[in-house]
Amino acid sequence: MGSNNTNKNQDLGLYFLEMARASSSMGVEDEKEESPMELNTINSSGGFLVVSPDKLSVKYTSVNLHGHDVGVVQANKPAPVKRLIYYFEIYVKDAGAKGQIAIGFTSETFKMRRQPGWEANSCGYHGDDGLLYRGQGKGDTFGPTFTSNDTIGGGINYASQEFFFTKNGAVVGAVFKDIKGPLFPTIAVHSLNEEVQVNFGQKKFAFDLKEYEAQERMKQQMTIEKISLPPNVSHRLVRSYLLHYGYEDTLNSFDLAGKSTVPPISFAQENGFDEQDIVYALNQRKTLRQLIRNGEIDAAFAKLHNWYPWIVQEDKSSTCFLLHCQKFIELVRVGALEEAVKYGRVELAKFFGLDEFENLVQDCVALLAYEKPQESSVGYLLEDSQREIVADMVNAMILSTNPNAKDFHGCLHSYLERLLRQLTACCLERRSMNGDQGEAFRLHRVLNSGKKGKC
Amino acid sequence: MSLFWIVIRQLAEIEAMATSKKVITREEWEKKLNDVMIRKEDMNKLVMNFLVTEGYVDAAEKFRMESGTEPDIDLATITDRMAVKKAVQCGNVEDAIEKVNDLNPEILDTNPQLFFHLQQQRLIELIRNGKVEEALEFAQEELAPRGEENQSFLEELEKTVALLAFEDVSNCPVGDLLDISQRLKTASEVNAAILTSQSHEKGCFWSKCMSSGTCALFTHIYAGDSNDPKLPSLLKMLIWAQSQLDEKAVYPRINDLSTATLEDPAV
Repeated sequence: MGSNNTNKNQDLGLYFLEMARASSSMGVEDEKEESPMELNTINSSGGFLVVSPDKLSVKYTSVNLHGHDVGVVQANKPAPVKRLIYYFEIYVKDAGAKGQIAIGFTSETFKMRRQPGWEANSCGYHGDDGLLYRGQGKGDTFGPTFTSNDTIGGGINYASQEFFFTKNGAVVGAVFKDIKGPLFPTIAVHSLNEEVQVNFGQKKFAFDLKEYEAQERMKQQMTIEKISLPPNVSHRLVRSYLLHYGYEDTLNSFDLAGKSTVPPISFAQENGFDEQDIVYALNQRKTLRQLIRNGEIDAAFAKLHNWYPWIVQEDKSSTCFLLHCQKFIELVRVGALEEAVKYGRVELAKFFGLDEFENLVQDCVALLAYEKPQESSVGYLLEDSQREIVADMVNAMILSTNPNAKDFHGCLHSYLERLLRQLTACCLERRSMNGDQGEAFRLHRVLNSGKKGKC
Repeated sequence: MSLFWIVIRQLAEIEAMATSKKVITREEWEKKLNDVMIRKEDMNKLVMNFLVTEGYVDAAEKFRMESGTEPDIDLATITDRMAVKKAVQCGNVEDAIEKVNDLNPEILDTNPQLFFHLQQQRLIELIRNGKVEEALEFAQEELAPRGEENQSFLEELEKTVALLAFEDVSNCPVGDLLDISQRLKTASEVNAAILTSQSHEKGCFWSKCMSSGTCALFTHIYAGDSNDPKLPSLLKMLIWAQSQLDEKAVYPRINDLSTATLEDPAV
């Protein structure tokens, strides 16, 4: 084997080494954002209004004289953006002398003595005229006026990039959101005794937000479902996935069934599909996967020595390291702790002090410290997924011995995985161009949302 | 890098600047792709879901053994479901209806549209087999009363009966009803209904999912018809996501799904 091949071999090993370590910290990272919970009493137009002690209602207590004595108050936090929709509501307890109440969104630098919508970078729905103001002096025809006992809602739809407003539980309308940056839920009162209560979700909304979200999602789904796919592309991808990972028995059943469907599915490859390449060593890859999945690491080692001696010839390679670790883990699993200690001294000790191996060695050895290692912080090592990583590594190593193997990535990633990576990257990129607004795409959650017990 | 590629890249950048799109080079994009973490067990689940929803019961069983992936539906129920699907695909609609009722009589009771479509398919098969008298009798006795309840049923019934008016159905305007695709359409409708009834027994995860604010993006892709296989939906989503990103950026795309080849941005 040339040095080129050795390098490739090392890279592959390191890739799986990283996977093995990453699996300890692969919890689903939820993107928690703070939501507005109360009104900001510090940055409000004091003097014209009074905020109640619970910071959830305001009252205009003076006599308004001009357009620069509006009682405006923002929420204590900007609207969270990493979601489909943000929404809040106000209840008009008293429309006061003139009913000049407004609800909307404003930027951080908003002038706190002006109605939302009167100034640039703000948007507001006004109760006295039912108009929508979007930063110009003049309002646009929008919806009905609102007054005492009405519940008015303001929302941001991040998917469609729109503001929308509701009155007493029904959508009034939506307008394009042309303001960038953080937006604060904002309310304004502007005549004597006007009193408004705000609900940031602490209480049930008058508007059925869930239903609205469901409809918005459905709209997008309809668009996507209308896209047509090339015939049998899913079948092909599943088939190449089975080939790639050496799931030979599944593949045979799949092919057999494909022949008897109505109409039969033909996998004739008209586009020069490189099938020959991944059929490569299929049976050997399957056998090794089975051994590793069954925890029979010694047997897997023996087969490798037999079939692919150079993969295991360098005892300090990541490949050998991961196999040794797995052997150690299997010994712990069956409770053969003394043997595990002995094995560790012979095979793992030499990896101490080597940066790339250190964490995993430490985790493995830590298994010995617990009476119930499954429940410990290193319990991930005992999971099936750890065996799978080792099996996948051996699989990739064998694929890399194929003289026709085109590139490094071909050994690592199935077509299916490449598509899923592309999908995730596209969604993330687009979202980051949108100022990180909207929900994130996570395959893991898409697939696991259907698990039992969540209902 | 050859001169050719340098020129190509420069041209791409110029084009992108003209349209003020962000240019993402292959190198940058590949780095982003490498940063994506896809779990093996998630891919296994996706494959299992495909095998199960498409009815590859033997393959699903083998895959469970080879990969340790648990199917989200009892594999035993796949066989029954596939038998129904196959019966419709082969034109044995009466047989299919009987099988559905054996599985769960509520499926047809609670789904008048599905029942109508099955009866309609039965009528189509009678016409296909040249049983004109039987077809007319069946239409009048079984289908007409349902048409009275529902305007769209009536229209579909009229369209179907129109088949009888043509001697050469292959050339008539409603001839597509006799096409194999009509059988496949009905078959997949039954398939979905049975799956829904089975997953209801398992719980109401979609509705719950959609009502929990923390739910992941695009889980809703499957909310409408929760029992279509997830893989085709994700592939459609990839096409959609790429076209969405096209509006804002020039980046390496995957144009051929079946080879997943990353292609340099077109000039």
